Amino acid sequence: MSKIADIKYILRFLGIVLIVEGLLILSCLIPALHFADGTWREITQSGLFTFFVGLFLVVSFHQYRNMGNRRMAYLLVVLMWVVLALFGTLPFLATGTLVNFSDALFESMSGITSTGATVFYAVEWLPASILLWRSMTQWFGGFGIVLLVLALVPSMGINKYSLYTAEASGADSGGKQTTTVASTVRHTLGVYILLTILFVFVLYKSGMQVWDAVNITFTNISSGGFSIYNNSLQRLTHIQQYIVAVAMLLSGVNFAMLFNIFTLRWELLKGKFEQLRFYLGLYVGASIVVVLSLVFRMGYGWSDAVRCGFVQTVSVLTTTGSLVGDTSQWWMPITYLMVILSLCGGMAGSTTGGLKAMRVLILFRHVGKTLRDRLHPHAVNPVRLNHKPVSPHIVTNVMVIFMIYVMVVFVGIMLLMLCGINATESIGAVIACITGYGPGLGISGGFGCYSHFTVSAKLICSFLMIMGRLECLPVLILFTRAYWKR
Amino acid sequence: MSRLTGMMLVYLSAGMLLPLAVSIHCGDGMQFALLVSGMLILMLGLFLRNILGGKTDYDLKENESYLITLAVWLAVPLCGALPYIFTGVLNSFTDALFESFSGFTTTGSSVVSLPEQLPESLLTYRALTQWVGGLGLMLFVVAILRKLTQGASRLYEAEFSGTQQRKLHPRLARSVTRMWTIYVVITFVMMVVMILNGTSVVDAFCLSCSTVSTGGFVTHSSGLAILPERTLIWVVVFMFLSGVNVAFLYRIFTLKWHKLWRDEELRTYVLLFVLAVAVCTTAFWTEGNGVEESLRYSLFHIASIMSTCGFYMPKPHHWSFLVSVLTFVLIVVGASSGSTGGGVKLRRIMIILKYIANYFSRMVHPNVVFRVKVNGEVVENEYINKVFAFVFLYIMFIIGGAFVLTLCGCSIPDAVCMAAANISNLGPSSLINSVGANLDYSMLPNLAKWTLTLLMLAGRLELFALIAVFSPAYWTANRRFRIRKVNKKTVVKNR
Repeated sequence: MSKIADIKYILRFLGIVLIVEGLLILSCLIPALHFADGTWREITQSGLFTFFVGLFLVVSFHQYRNMGNRRMAYLLVVLMWVVLALFGTLPFLATGTLVNFSDALFESMSGITSTGATVFYAVEWLPASILLWRSMTQWFGGFGIVLLVLALVPSMGINKYSLYTAEASGADSGGKQTTTVASTVRHTLGVYILLTILFVFVLYKSGMQVWDAVNITFTNISSGGFSIYNNSLQRLTHIQQYIVAVAMLLSGVNFAMLFNIFTLRWELLKGKFEQLRFYLGLYVGASIVVVLSLVFRMGYGWSDAVRCGFVQTVSVLTTTGSLVGDTSQWWMPITYLMVILSLCGGMAGSTTGGLKAMRVLILFRHVGKTLRDRLHPHAVNPVRLNHKPVSPHIVTNVMVIFMIYVMVVFVGIMLLMLCGINATESIGAVIACITGYGPGLGISGGFGCYSHFTVSAKLICSFLMIMGRLECLPVLILFTRAYWKR
Repeated sequence: MSRLTGMMLVYLSAGMLLPLAVSIHCGDGMQFALLVSGMLILMLGLFLRNILGGKTDYDLKENESYLITLAVWLAVPLCGALPYIFTGVLNSFTDALFESFSGFTTTGSSVVSLPEQLPESLLTYRALTQWVGGLGLMLFVVAILRKLTQGASRLYEAEFSGTQQRKLHPRLARSVTRMWTIYVVITFVMMVVMILNGTSVVDAFCLSCSTVSTGGFVTHSSGLAILPERTLIWVVVFMFLSGVNVAFLYRIFTLKWHKLWRDEELRTYVLLFVLAVAVCTTAFWTEGNGVEESLRYSLFHIASIMSTCGFYMPKPHHWSFLVSVLTFVLIVVGASSGSTGGGVKLRRIMIILKYIANYFSRMVHPNVVFRVKVNGEVVENEYINKVFAFVFLYIMFIIGGAFVLTLCGCSIPDAVCMAAANISNLGPSSLINSVGANLDYSMLPNLAKWTLTLLMLAGRLELFALIAVFSPAYWTANRRFRIRKVNKKTVVKNR
């Protein structure tokens, strides 16, 4: 009985999400009409269809407002992304820009999980409405994950061992925002929209057209990485590239922390900068390595090297995937370093993918703690973060996520290799998809695309994207027997 | 410290009598070089033992065991490289060191591309280094030094850091003796079996030393293809056995079979072996190889990998990618704890998998307490956290090592495979790839060789003994201790 009620609640929730998505699709009518690309009819159809499906669900299940069994929240979270991606394929299929469902799903999933892997070798021929839809999915997806981590899931009350609890996901590390869900949502939304408007404006001022500025901001503030140009960021002026880099850098910062910084609540932030410090330190350190190797190994000039190094590194670290050049041609160790950086990712509670800086920090500190434990068996030395001991649950949580991450990567590589993709490329594709970076290694890396992947490989990659975005556990738990037992 | 190190060097020089005897018997002209290097090592050992460390007693201070472990593990392979240099087999110092470390850590990575051209005495020496390193140098120390009462268990733990295995006997010295006995017996049995099957004495000695210690040095560049079918089956059996905990081998030989199957790790090992062989055979078969060929190669391949021996054989015609990934995973998983093999060790992997399974259950039922049990005994959370830290560090070492290897011009998959194969003490990374029957490490630049050497040592010492010495916590320990002592004295004075 209660399980059915929960599923109805989930359907109602999905209805709300679909209504929003329908509206977003409809908003793509603006470029469709403005540039007169002849897709307005298809866009309207898919938008209205999505909208009405959502409306139907909300209306029919409007009385289910509470979840009986908390654990159903995992199902909800996963279904949310799956449904968003499924309906997100409509514009691609309706306009005929993609004819295969697997391609459309890959592209749509890549958008909604703000991954940025694409099946389009060239994008400039696409109709404007589709271009905006691609950017829009990333923007919405990026926002969705922040909202999920900071507001929704804590309020849905998934148990304390879950990865999304405030402490585990790092939502708390920026200082407690506010107590109620509504205000958290409001604040996060506020910060996100404010940043978007700010960067659209700044990019416009730097001499870009509004259309370009909107698209570029949408895909970079969400650490997505789609582009409306074939060669990503390479076409922009140097100043604009630096501006985009700042946008990416901010997208990797915890949004609760950003809110507190913007509203000047310093007292809430006091002593909570360790994760930020690690993130920035990693960024600067890695950038310097990249810059030096660009200069001394690849023969770049200093100014070019600094620009490429700093912009590309932030793009990798925040798992955005915007490119300042054809990175597949870069020196092998840099490519390798980039793969590792993308595994690390930005701060928890941001739009980035990967393991998150905080988890990496905890992992390293835990190793230190183990070492100290062995050398001084009688000393008490907990893992500390922000000068406070981290509870053992969180540490094991982090460890478990890391191990599962590693296993998923291995299984993913094995499956892709079975689909006939060579070793380098499958390693690149799996890591790019699970972290949400986007470009892989080899043909799919750099300015390349995933169009040569087989259907099964594309589906596997789409699955990996959703795994990475939701940090594996909620997806995997749906496949356990215990979950479905009463 | 220097006393123990010197001691080990003296024993090393004593061990060199065997290759010397072989050399004189076969007349390969290496006796003089071996004699000189042996004398040098002996003198160095005596110097360290009697002059530098003359007055220190064997009572180890807290945490000193880590330093001693590292010192022995550095000194012995360093001196062990001398014969390679003096005999002129390997020209560069890096190569000699690589070969020596590879031997003592039972890795079996080789820079010698044509082992059949090595003189018999050096083949023997190479095999001997592996055999000594097989059970671990510290275990050797413990076995030899009966005076080491307190420090023994510390040394033992420093090397076998935290696999939490039961000892064979409550008294460490006795259980170590039993381990050595069983080790010697198995080597001897294998040697006899091989000789009876028609292998030459030197080959039989070398291969049985390599197998039992899970080293992997071979005597011929085509790997084990030189052996006849019948002998090969025996090699597979002994490879399989050497991936098993030595304690269990003891039980096999003392006919306590009823206790064997009760152990979960052993069961997992056997099941994993059967499963892996099945998968591997199917994979090769579907790629278009004959069933018999697939099965034969799979048996050999999986035994060679799961025990981290690292023997190789000509590969089947059509390679399967599935096998590549499977091999990589099995290499990192490694052999059972307490065996001579390397890798993360099956027991740790079991604990992690069980913990993850529990974790999922706990997500569903937040208020239920789930414990990880191995062999029906609860594993404490403290220990689980240590295991997690270990595996994380292991992966970091692979990633870091692979980075340096990419600097040397390796492709990313190659670099990762090489790093994993060496930290797990497997040896030739060509076992993972489809290309070539045999890849020796002689083509790599020196930086890569040094990195791999470090990885071998790290893997063999299970990371902690290596890292502990370089961590600030290690050195603050002694300082704090001293301060406390001083304080006590001042307190006394004030009274």
